[in-house]
Amino acid sequence: MAGSDNIRRIRDYIISMPSLPTTVSKVLEVCNNPRTSPLDLDKVISLDPVLMGKVLKLINSAYYGLSTQVTSLARAIIMLGVNTVKNLALSTAVIDKFGNKGDFRALNPEGFWRHSLCVGVAAKMIAKRRGADPRMHEEYFAAGLLHDIGKIPINNALAEEYIRTMSLADRERIALFLAEKRSIDVDHCEAGKMVAEAWKLDGPINDTITFHHALESYAGGHRDVVLTVAVANYFANREGIGFSGNLYPDRIPPEVFEELGMAKSVLDDIEDNVNAEIEKAKVFLAGARA
Amino acid sequence: MFSVKLWGSRGSMPTPGPDSVVFGGNTSCIEVRCDDRLIIIDAGSGIRGLGDSLMKTDLKKGPITADIFLTHTHWDHIMGFPMFTPIYVPGTRLTIRGPMAFEDDSLDKVIGTQLSYRYWPVRQEELAARIDYEHLRETRVDMGDGITVQTKYLNHPILCLGYRIEFKGKSFSTCYDHEPYRNLFPTDPGDPQYDEAIAREGDQATREENEKVYRFYAASDLLVHDAQYTAREYAAGKTGWGHSSFEYAINMANKASVKRLVLSHHDPNRTDTELQELELFYKAKIAGKSMLEIDVAREGNSFMLAP
Repeated sequence: MAGSDNIRRIRDYIISMPSLPTTVSKVLEVCNNPRTSPLDLDKVISLDPVLMGKVLKLINSAYYGLSTQVTSLARAIIMLGVNTVKNLALSTAVIDKFGNKGDFRALNPEGFWRHSLCVGVAAKMIAKRRGADPRMHEEYFAAGLLHDIGKIPINNALAEEYIRTMSLADRERIALFLAEKRSIDVDHCEAGKMVAEAWKLDGPINDTITFHHALESYAGGHRDVVLTVAVANYFANREGIGFSGNLYPDRIPPEVFEELGMAKSVLDDIEDNVNAEIEKAKVFLAGARA
Repeated sequence: MFSVKLWGSRGSMPTPGPDSVVFGGNTSCIEVRCDDRLIIIDAGSGIRGLGDSLMKTDLKKGPITADIFLTHTHWDHIMGFPMFTPIYVPGTRLTIRGPMAFEDDSLDKVIGTQLSYRYWPVRQEELAARIDYEHLRETRVDMGDGITVQTKYLNHPILCLGYRIEFKGKSFSTCYDHEPYRNLFPTDPGDPQYDEAIAREGDQATREENEKVYRFYAASDLLVHDAQYTAREYAAGKTGWGHSSFEYAINMANKASVKRLVLSHHDPNRTDTELQELELFYKAKIAGKSMLEIDVAREGNSFMLAP
């Protein structure tokens, strides 16, 4: 019964899920400015997994019935208009101002943000290196940025339980998602799937959120994206870029690299560029706090 | 019979007075007749006159049944609803369809809020008519009796639908309120904010979305299109307001092989004299160059598409 109660608490939290505290002041600055450029809007949203998910939700719920899902933020801004996107971002960010100051007790928000951004940037870079269709690059980024989104409702709705979950993973030296399953009966992939469904995100983003720790059981049509994000996640953990609570990440079997047709050494090549991208994002966000 | 009558073509706000005697001052409302079926597009202030007309002519034949399609829920497109007399007549049956509002509020709430005591002496719950609401997205609705209604999202600050009604082999489309999609991102490599990937993505999205719109109304026998501004006015501070220019509407309708174009959603500040001058100017401009017929919308204009 504890499991179903946990699921209910997670579901309740998802309904009014706020922006990340890391980005909120910049979101307010950019969106309260009537002269904000669409490019700044694009930038600020693409740095916040919650905001990114909500903008994609809006475009895809509105355009429901189209054969393809819109995963490009630039296109979403052109189709919805700057004002609609700004208002959406503001309503998401403002909730946070009145939110619980004790949020992110188990996960460090800065570390989580850096990890999510790193996986998004790395997934996009790997896709580029593999020669993926340029129109799909943003999809890789979005899937990477959002892959751990399920940790946010767990971390906030079940804060005490999540601290115990992390201790369990630490004590038993197991991956975080396994500890989540044992300790709270729902892992961040399942919680993430609930978020994706609430935001009406399907296709590669939903599949990545749901299957990035279960590659062998994934039989859907977006293997390239799901596998690429899993590799990017491995890269972020290996390099210690950001931290999203997983001290004992799962290994990526060599077959995955083979299937993607990439050498593992590609990860060494992209490291400098990924770090540079994250630093640029830091500078952009820091502008609001000066 | 397939006919179209304009009951209101003014944009933004009703404009009674000596400057709107010829083209009219009521906001959006179009009556479409497909034999015995009545379709109404938008419930702007023009719907009051339509309601009174229905009370005189249609009610004699039996209770009024109508399908109302709202392009969007901005006020000038719904403000006439409380004064649409058939809603107070027992036996009236209305189906109101329209796009979802951005806030996810249901359509009945958005329309019905106007019928609450703070705004109006009658509450929605007290109406005699039976009203059903239906959210529309991009879709094709089979209305029965050989009528189909197709919808297309347009570019406006809130979700807005264009409609294409087909009956007896003829087609009538609306494309308002609508502004051409445009690339919002810097495209000049000299701009310090220039980002090549985003600029390219923006160009592609803009081109594709604009193509989808004119393909939607392609080869219509009659098209009512947003033309709130002239191209010069549009360029001088009206971009992003969600409306088109005369020039854009004419060029797109011509490209899409539309037969007859009605330029509508007149700016509230536009006088009869100005509209007459604009009509003559654009008619002269395309004379001999295009098969397209153009009119500036006049309240009360009727168009017969099929006998």
